[in-house]
This record gives sequence, structure tokens and C-alpha cells, in this order.
Amino acid sequence: MKIHILLFCLLTGFVNRVNAQTMVTPAGPQETPLLLTGATAHLGNGQIIENAIIGFDKGKLTIVAKSGEAVNKSGYEIVDVTGKHIYPGFILPATDLGLAEVSSVRATLDNDETGLVNPNVRSIIAYNTDSELIPTLRFNGILIAQIRAFGGLISGTSSIVQLDAWNWEDAIFQADEGIYMNWPNRETRQFDFSTFTFKTSPNERYDQYIAELTEIFAESRNYRKGDYGNKVNLKLEAMKGLLEGGKKLYINANDAKSIIESIKFAKNMGVEKVVLVGAGEAYMIKEFLKAEDIPVILGNVHSLPRKPDDDVDLPYRMAYLLHREGILTGLAYRGTQNSRNLPFFAGTAASYGLGREEALKLITSNTAKILGIDDRVGSLEVGKDATLFVSEGDALDMRSNQLIHAFINGRKIQLDATQQALYQKYKSKYQGD
Amino acid sequence: MNRNYCVMKSALLLFLLVGVFCPELPAQETFPRNDVKDQRRRAFAFLNATIVTDDQQTIENGVMIIKDGKIMDVGTSLNVPDGYSVVDLEGKFIYPGLVDIYSSYGLPEVKTPKRQWGGPEQIQSKTKGAYNANQAIKSEYAASEEFTAHDKAAKKLRNLGFGSVLSFRPDGVARGTSVFVTLGQDSENKLMLNPVVAAHYSFNKGSSTQDYPVSAMGYIALLRQTYLDAGWYKSLTVKPFIDQSLIAWNQNQQLPQIFETTSWLGLLRADKVGDEFGHQYIIKGNGDEYRRMKEITATGAPLIIPLNFPEAFDVDDPLDARKLSLEQMLHWELAPTNPGVLEKNGITFAITTYKTEGGRFWKNLRKAIKHGLSEESALRALTTTPARLVRMENKVGSLKKGMVANFLITSDNIFSEEAIIYENWIQGKKYIVNPIDQPEIAGKYTLSFAGNDYNLEISGKPGKPEAKIVLNDTTSIKVNAKVRGELVTLNFDVEDEEVSAGDIRFSGWIADNNIKGSGQLGDGEWVNWSAIYQGKLPPKEKKGEDREEDNLQTGKVLFPFLGYGNAELPRQKSVLFKNATVWTNEAEGIMQNTDVLVKNGKIAKIGSNLTDREAETIDASGKHLTSGIIDEHSHIAASSINDVATNSGMVRIGDVINPDDINIYRQLAGGVTAAQILHGSANPIGGQSALIKFRWGAGPEGMKIEGADGYIKFALGENVKRSRSRSSTRFPQTRMGVEQVYMDAFSNALEYEKEWQAYNKLNARQKATAIKPRRDLVHEAMLEIIRSERFISCHSYVQSEINMLMHVAEHFGFKVNTFTHILEGYKVADKMAAHGAGGSTFADWWAYKWEVRYAIPYNPQLMQMAGVTVAVNSDDPEMARRLNQEAAKSVKYGGMSEEDAWKMVSLNPAKLLHLDDRTGSVKAGKDADLVLWNDNPLSIYAKAEKTMVDGVIYYDMDEDRKKRKAIREERARLTARMKAAKKGGDPTRKPFETSTIGFHCDVIVGDNFLYLGEN
Repeated sequence: MKIHILLFCLLTGFVNRVNAQTMVTPAGPQETPLLLTGATAHLGNGQIIENAIIGFDKGKLTIVAKSGEAVNKSGYEIVDVTGKHIYPGFILPATDLGLAEVSSVRATLDNDETGLVNPNVRSIIAYNTDSELIPTLRFNGILIAQIRAFGGLISGTSSIVQLDAWNWEDAIFQADEGIYMNWPNRETRQFDFSTFTFKTSPNERYDQYIAELTEIFAESRNYRKGDYGNKVNLKLEAMKGLLEGGKKLYINANDAKSIIESIKFAKNMGVEKVVLVGAGEAYMIKEFLKAEDIPVILGNVHSLPRKPDDDVDLPYRMAYLLHREGILTGLAYRGTQNSRNLPFFAGTAASYGLGREEALKLITSNTAKILGIDDRVGSLEVGKDATLFVSEGDALDMRSNQLIHAFINGRKIQLDATQQALYQKYKSKYQGD
Repeated sequence: MNRNYCVMKSALLLFLLVGVFCPELPAQETFPRNDVKDQRRRAFAFLNATIVTDDQQTIENGVMIIKDGKIMDVGTSLNVPDGYSVVDLEGKFIYPGLVDIYSSYGLPEVKTPKRQWGGPEQIQSKTKGAYNANQAIKSEYAASEEFTAHDKAAKKLRNLGFGSVLSFRPDGVARGTSVFVTLGQDSENKLMLNPVVAAHYSFNKGSSTQDYPVSAMGYIALLRQTYLDAGWYKSLTVKPFIDQSLIAWNQNQQLPQIFETTSWLGLLRADKVGDEFGHQYIIKGNGDEYRRMKEITATGAPLIIPLNFPEAFDVDDPLDARKLSLEQMLHWELAPTNPGVLEKNGITFAITTYKTEGGRFWKNLRKAIKHGLSEESALRALTTTPARLVRMENKVGSLKKGMVANFLITSDNIFSEEAIIYENWIQGKKYIVNPIDQPEIAGKYTLSFAGNDYNLEISGKPGKPEAKIVLNDTTSIKVNAKVRGELVTLNFDVEDEEVSAGDIRFSGWIADNNIKGSGQLGDGEWVNWSAIYQGKLPPKEKKGEDREEDNLQTGKVLFPFLGYGNAELPRQKSVLFKNATVWTNEAEGIMQNTDVLVKNGKIAKIGSNLTDREAETIDASGKHLTSGIIDEHSHIAASSINDVATNSGMVRIGDVINPDDINIYRQLAGGVTAAQILHGSANPIGGQSALIKFRWGAGPEGMKIEGADGYIKFALGENVKRSRSRSSTRFPQTRMGVEQVYMDAFSNALEYEKEWQAYNKLNARQKATAIKPRRDLVHEAMLEIIRSERFISCHSYVQSEINMLMHVAEHFGFKVNTFTHILEGYKVADKMAAHGAGGSTFADWWAYKWEVRYAIPYNPQLMQMAGVTVAVNSDDPEMARRLNQEAAKSVKYGGMSEEDAWKMVSLNPAKLLHLDDRTGSVKAGKDADLVLWNDNPLSIYAKAEKTMVDGVIYYDMDEDRKKRKAIREERARLTARMKAAKKGGDPTRKPFETSTIGFHCDVIVGDNFLYLGEN
């Protein structure tokens, strides 16, 4: 990589390098069929191919094979990546990437609409493809994201995007595919100054919130039946997809009882596809989740145990505890600014019970299945999108997560951006030219 | 620690001697009369009682004579002079009236203002008049000026047996003086036994609206400065200004000094302040002292403790019960042992009812006795000890000639379950608690009316009957029964068709053993009724917490008092690690197949084929051994992080170390062995740091690194200029102003130094007339920095401000030791290297606020490239347990070598904290702060298997598994006990969850507000 940069420096000279590197230009469509050879391919479905040949053309995977297998290589440009590692593009679900730039500066935040019930607000509308956060995620292998709003009881409608685009229309991978609901907390937390700790007490507004949710779901049913005649109600209109099975309901709930209540609620309301997000205590009620067939997106692997008596490594082992029971599990990342570390969540899960290939699924094929996009992404299989990257080494370990190439739909995307430009600028200052 | 207390005692003795020989003072002759003169002698003689004069002496068949509110004599065969009313107390007991030296009886309620951190600041005090600069210093307050008797409140305490109380106003850090009063009904002039009895202090600013202080460490700093100010003020013959608070403060020093705290940690902190200024405080504790008896005993402080024993939790629902921590559950079991434990450890203590539920006082006292408190000690804690502590022992607390006639008449040994307090005499005046001659009517009766017979059972104490009609084995009807003298009233409802149903109301009288009377049935018909005595009731079945068979066996106290604490602290031992891959951080680099021997807490030898007969051998083949991770920037293990004065250089994190933080253990599990606990970033000049080692289970002082250099937090940028508050008015609001804060602070400190130098040059005669300079803790901290005796760790982000602080430092001739966060350090790394500043940074945090917009993960690598000593720190309790991974990110971003990356969380922070001579590398002679990893420590797959501090293994993966099991079992045991308590009829509470604050730089906790900013 150093040689590569040096070469680049020699070729371009220094004067315009910084500006050129700062600008991230979306790549054009794949023009030449490419064949990556010699790498270890981690397919994202639990399988691994040593010394693999991975070919793609017009944005789709055409060859996924082991070196030596008979494949038609004609017309492919060979890229020798011997000794490197190939992964399907990582998927970051449940993020406000592109909606929130600097968390303490209100003007940069478009992630939380006012009001309690906002199924009609659409995250894709505010998704900023020029967010400076996006290149930092791509740099670590995250190529697909699900963009959601936060706040209220029903935060809004989410969409899935690919991370190399000119504008939000261009970024759409799947628009308006789900609605995010925050199950009200059964308890609220107050700071108790006498003991200097937080204490919980029952949430006095819990019943009111449940009533609010019950009403919006019940009315959406009536709306769908036609009870409202030709009167348009944008909120109820947005809810329709949940009842028809077109949209998924992503329920954010953490404590065991809230998980049970919220999922029962959704099922009783006639919602067909439910995903549990957050899921701090999901491991306490695995049987329930299995019986209801609910997939889980874990909120935060690198977190502290919720209780002082909990196992010190409980958050690290959580994915394993769910996987062990056959619950389909993916990983999200709390804190968008640092979400480029998603691969290392998987690395931790690998070390705490899952093993590397199974842990890789948490940020690739499992997430694709949960989001309903596994027909196109999440694993390296012929016919799927050529959304993948090549890394110097194990991409789940920070030492070796070093991307060399990344492709979205076969388009070779730019990895370096502002941060790398600043690095080069000051590196040359201190090293001398 | 006790010396000063002895001095107080001899002063007290003197006072006592004078007191005894005082002639009796005439009563309120100065008041105008609105009647003829009617002075009566109030003289009584109590005969045949068991008189418990104090906790040492009991007189059987005793006589006590009182007159005009005073005890004339107590003895066995005394002559009763003429004119005394005689009261025969055959079979009854007399006790001294109980004394509570912690109450705010008769004083107006203190209103605490709503506070926040976000609005306009209040820098100055709003106290009107010539008083102290800090609104929380209210030494001038005298409770005697506001005390007003309040009979409703007095009666509650009288009914519990109390006759006199100390009363103070719970407002402020220095709260002024309290008053000592009896609980009688009389004019305040008579009730007040001492208008100025004690001086009071606390770690709570009460009604003060001034910003500073908000934190435990700020209260300590304010107290320390006020001691210095008051001493200086007193020493001046000509006062340069009037400060009535300081004048009062100085006067109050002669009194007993009472300090209120709310936990054992606060108790230790208060005592430490007292030690520094030569005072042994009497400390009001909170009943959790049992958790740290060694440290509590060492204070030598007399204590005032409440009996606030928590109710059991309702643990029926296991998911709900999961909210509880083992700490909460164990506290339920151990709180009642606290008084007994104090007694066993020889601690002088008084018991108070302050802020406890009066209705449970006697129940809890008896519970404490059941859990190990002796009756003598209990009585002492309620009579002679409190009286003596506030120098009132010549008036109250025991029954002796000349004392105030405050005493109780009881049916029995006052501590027995059956005891009834009949009368509470205060200043020779009788207050009836329970009528003394109430007829005993308990028993089984046959209740007959309108041709029907029922089984009536009357239980309860005389005067307080409880009655029911027993229909069969399982059903009974509650009867509302009242007895007043000879008259009885019964009310009940019989749903019996033979009798007219509805409300039945009976009125009657006692006729020998029986009760007779007339009454009205539901339909209004008058009937005669009788209840004929049939015999005694069988002894009552005890229930719940009263049950005798209750297992008094309790769980063990854990150090720290958390699930993962240890009943026995782990010990230092000799350990030999065999065949490890050793990351030395020395010239030897990473050594393969190497042995490391640990002895006496130090690394003894490094080599191959080492042997040691005593040492425990650990096979480390295939494993990696490193020195411990050191976190340059941490906010765990402290009770507060921020105070809010622009220059808070006087506050010290070391004053508020909290060793009972679970995050210490969690971080040991991540290989962390030491940390700098930094003040937050609310101000350009923050407080002084504490450097600690993670000695899990040690007390607050035991955590600190002995002989470590002093550090202080500085902060620049958005936080200190209050960027997120729209209405902030505090100077500075810009980075320009921030620089001026520093220029000002250091210039003033140098002037201060000159003033002292000039003063110190004077001879004794000149000194006598000169104005002595005032000692100022802020200036002293600034001078320490200038003299390179204290070192700065400065929260910093953008290049301009980094450059600025180096200029300021160079102007005053010192170096900035460390820039922390330093996310734009890469832009001025060459200047930092030239200046000699280190950089302690985040691996990849950015974009959480405007000033970190250009933070890049290449920062560590670039700074290192420029020659800066670079560390990677946490500022976050979760990230701290993965600092090895954070260091590893520099391998990814910038291609740093693994060895150099590892040094960023071990040797380099040790260098920045000036600890590299004793820790930070694996080298013979250094402290055995070691971690054994199952993999390359920079790998995401690496786990710490053993973490050792000073040769003591505080975290061991195998031990950790055992602890998990032990926690589960102990919880199960306590769950079973709570279930039994509930089944037995004990009240229970719903489980709730408690959690501590995850502190980072910008968290501010005030007296009643919490501000959670962002780093």
C-alpha cells in the first residue's frame, strides 16, 4: 500500500493531490469483466474458499470457484490478489448515516422528526450522499446501509442504500422497506442524588403510549378497509404496507418483557414481518423468539453489561447465545460516527463463541436475510450483486482490515477521502518531501 | 486522629464541673402576668420502680424524686419529703428520656432551588449582607433564632420515647449552629436547654443558588479554603473587610463539630478534612458502615447513625427480580447488622431517627438487637452517648441528681417485644403515650346478644385492643374495639341471617373479668350484650421478620461491596510464567519462549529456564505476557468528575475516589492495571487528578499510587466556552478568552508567590504589624504547575488552541506535559515535539462535535512520526476494556509497527504519567503489573486470562467463572430469604434497578441536576 501511494505521489505530483483526494467521485458502471484470483474468499454464508477465483461482469457475480476448477475466463481482466482476502460488502442496518453529521450541532441533524407517531416520514428523503462519514465506512468494508430515523414511538420509514452515489435517488437499494417503532420503556430512569445512582421506576406514560400505538395500528386497518373513503391520511397510508406484508416492522425493544409485549402487540395488530432491534435481553427469552420466528439485530456489541452482576463479557457473547438457539442474528452499531468499526463487532463475536465465518454472517448474509435483500447481497454467490471488497488480511481484525479494492455492483469505488488526504498532507510535512 | 477529640473531652469536663454547681435559675420572671401569681410546686416521688439510671446502672425497687422539672434524687431507700405527690410504679420501669442529636425539629423547611447546567451561570453569592463569598457557607446561621416549638412534630418523637433533641437547619456546606431543646409543650424560653450546642457541616449546598461547588470534591475544596480563610481572618488584628460568616465560623470552632454524610465513602472523606484541620468531627453516617469497618474504625470518629433498614424486595417474578443487584439484596440482609458491627468494633455511636420512618423505629431497634447489638449499647446510643457528644450529659441522658427530669415510664424492659411506653416525662411534666392504668382485657370471651353466642377474641396491648369474632378455623370477623378507662366500644358487621345483618354498635363497661353493655343492631333495635371471660389466648404466632426461627446467618461482606467483590482479598504471591511470548517494551523487544518470575510484587527475573521453589508456576506456552494497560484518561472509580468554577484547580479527584466501581473489575478483565482519573472538561482549569492502580477491593486510599507525581486537568475549546448553552454568561466564551484565563491565573499566582516571599522575609516584630497574605489553594496549584511540581493533562482538539497553551506555558517557563484527546495534534505535532508535550488520543473517534470535524485515525501515527510520545486513552468505561484493540487501529491507519502500537497503551502512558520507572514494561525490578493474554494482545481475538497488579492477581478468567457461579448462588439464597419474608407477612417493595453514571469528560452532577454532555 505504501508503494502504491508513493507511486501515486510520483505520478500526480503534490500540488493538486489533496484536493483531488478529498473529492469522492462515484464510480461509473462496470465496463470490464473482472476476475480476482488467488485470494481467500469468505463467502459470507459460512463457507470459505482458499485460492479462489471470483469473477463478475456488468455488476453481477459470474464466477465463484476454487482455483483449478473449470471456469470460462475469457474476456475477464485478471486481478491477482494472491494472499489477500475477499469478503461480500458489509451491511450496516439501523443507522442514521447521512441523516446526522455532527451529533452536537443541531443544524446538521435530520434524524429525529418532532411528534410521537411519524410512519410517514421517509429517511431516504434526507439521506445525504455527500456525508463525510460515508467514505470512512467504505474504507473499512461497509458498502450497504439501512437508513432509519430515530425518536418518538414510530420514528419513520427506512430505506436501504448503497454507499457510492451522486444523490439519494441514485443511492436507493430498496426504498421504504420498513417502519421503525420504539417500544415505550416500561420503566424510566431517574438520578437519585442520595445514592448517586440512577434508579428505575415504572413509566407513568406507558399505558398512554400503548394506547397511542394501538390506535394508529387499529386505524390503519380501518383505513386499509376503506373506512376513510377518499380522504387521504398520510400516516395511515404509510402504515398500510405493514399489514399487507410489503413492509417490515422493526421494533426497538431491550428488556425481556418489553420484547415479549411488543412482538405480541405487532402480531395481534396483524403485522406480518417483524424484526427485533436492540434486543439487550433477548437472550433471556430465546424460546419465545424461536417460537415467534423473530430475527434479531443486536444494538451494540462493544457495550457494558447492563447490570453489575452480569457476566463481564455478556455483550460480547450475546450474538453467540442467540445463534446457538438458531435465532437469525445481525449486528447494528450504536453511534453512527464510529460505525466504521462494525467489522470489529463481528470480530469480537467471533472470539466470544461464534468463530470467524459464523461471525462474518452477522454483518453480511444474516443481515441481508433480515432486511430481505439476500437475493442480491450478503454473500458471494453467482448471480448476486458484485458488491464485495479485497482486504490485505482478516477484515474482522483491525490490524489486518486493510482494503485494497472495493466494488459496489461491480463498480470499483474510491476508498481514500478527506481523512487519507489529511494524512498524506501531514505525513509529507513530517517526513519531508 | 483522636488527639483533638481528647482536647475536646477535657474542655467538656470543665464545662460539666461548672454546670453542676450552677444555682437553679428562676423561671421566666421577666414575663408580664395576666392573672394572679400562681406558682405551684411540681414535685413527685416515684416509688417501687425498676430504675435504669443509665446503661451502666439499674436500681431495683428504686425511688426517684423530682421537683420543678429537675431530678432531686434517685436511690433505693430514700425518704420522700413532705408535699410530694407519690406515684407507685410497682412492676414498672423508669428509663432516661431518649436523646436524638440529629433532627431539624422546630425549624423551617429548607427549600432547594431547581438547578441546571445550561442556563446563565451564577458566579457570585446571592446572600444579602456582609457574609461569605460562597452562598453555601452559612456559619452565621443560629438555629436558636428560628426555633419554634411544634407540638405535632414533638409528639411523634415523644411517642417514640425521645425527650430532647438537637435541632439544626440542614442547609449549606457550613450550616451554622444548632440548638438543644426538649420536646415538651412550653415556651421556647423554657424548652431551650442550650441555644448554641454544635456546629454543622455537610457535602450539600442546600439552598445555595451559586454554581460552585456542585461536586463532592468541590465541597471538600470549599471547606478546606474556608478553614484557611477563617484562620487568616482571625489572625488579622485589623480586618480588611467584614465577613460575618467567617467571624461566626471562628466562634463555632469551640463547639462540637457535626458533619453529615450519606455513605461510608462520604464519612471517610469528611474525617479526612477534619484531620487536616485538627478537628475530630462527629459524623452522621448512613447505616452502611459495615461495608468498610477497617477504614471506618481507623477514623476514630464518633458516629450518628440511622436505623434505616430496607424492606425486602418482591422477587416473585424472576425477570423483574433481575433488576436487583446483589449489592441491593445483600444490603437488605446486612443493614440490620450495622449497629452490632459498630459496637463490636468499639465505635462510639448515637442512634438518630433523622429521615427515617418513625413507625419502624422500635421494630428496627429490636431487629438490630437481634442482629448483634447489645441492649446496653442500644440504650447508650440513645441516651448517654448522644448527650455526651454534644456536651449535654449534665442535663439529659441519664437519671441523676440535678439532671433535667426527662424520663420514661414503661411496662417492661424497654427493649422487649411486649414493652409499652406509658409516659414520657419531659422537664418534670407528664406526657401520656399509652394510658398507664388501662385494664388488661385480652382473652377469650363468649359474646352473647339477641340470643346468639359468638367466640370473641381480644388481643393487643392494654388500651390498644385488637378484637375479632372467630366463626371457625379459617374465618373471622374483625371487630373494631376501643377501650377508654372503664368504657368499651365494639363495632362489627355480622352477616348472619338470624341476627339482623349490618352494622352492630355496642357500648359497654368492664365488670370484673367480663364486659357488659347495651347497643344497637343494624335495624336500630336496642339490645343488651355481654362478653363473658373464658380464659387466656394462646401465645401469638410470630410472623415474618419477627419470627424467632429466622436465620440470623447472613452473607459475607464483599470487598468491594459488589457481586464481583471478594470476601477475602487476593494476596501477593510468587509466580513464575513459563515459556511466554513476552512483550518487554524494552530494547529486547518481543521475546519468545521466555520465563518471567514475580516476587514480592515486583518482576524479579526475566530469562529462560528460570526456577523458583516457592513460586506458583503458570504455563504460558503459546500465550503472550505484557505489562498492564495504563489508561491516561479515565473517569471511572470517582464519585464526581466536574466542578464548575472557571478555575477549579483547587478541587481534587483524589478526594472522591470510589473503589466500589464495577468498571474497575471489568477493565481488569480487559488487561488494564492503572489509570489517571481526570477531572472533566467543564472549565479551562479543572481539578487535580488521581493516579490509581486497579487494586480491586482496596479502600479509596489504597487505590492511589504511592508517591506518584501530581497532575491537573486543563481543557480548551467548546466545552469550556460553554458552546452548547445558549444563555451562558460565564467568561470565557471564546478561545481568545480561554488564553486570558491562563495568563491571568499564572500571573496572579506569581504575584501571590511574591507577596508570601516578602512576608516571609519580615522579622517577627514586622510580621506582627504586617497584613499576612491569605493562603489560596488555587494560586498554590498554579504555582505548583509553574514550578513543574504538578503536570498538566490538557483536553484539546483544534490546532490553534494547542499552539496557544504551549505559548502560555513557555511564557511562564514550564511545559505542557500531555495534550489529551488532541485530535488535531497531527497538525502541530512538530511544535508539540519541540515543546516536549506528549499526546494521549482516541484511535478513531470523531464527528461527535464541531471541533472534532478534522479528527483522523492517523493522528497517533503522525504524532509519533513527529517525535511526540503518544498514548491511546479511553475517556469511556467501555472502551477502556478494549484499549489494546484501540492501539491496534494504528497498525491499520498509518501502518504503525505492532510493538509501537502496543506501547501506546502501556509504556507511553506510563511515561506521560511519570510512572515508567516503576511500571509500563516487563523489566526486572519494576512493579509486577502484568497481563497474560491468550493471543497477540493487539488482536481482536485476544483475551486477558490473568491480570496482576503489584504481584496480586486481581482478575483470573477461571476465578471469574467461579465468581459468576457464586453470584448466582448468593442471589438464589437471598431470593429464598426474601420470599420467606414475604410469605411471613413482611412488607416488600417492587424491584428497581440502580446503575452508576458512565462518566466521561463533560458529565456534571450537581446537588439535584445531572448534565450529560459529550466528551
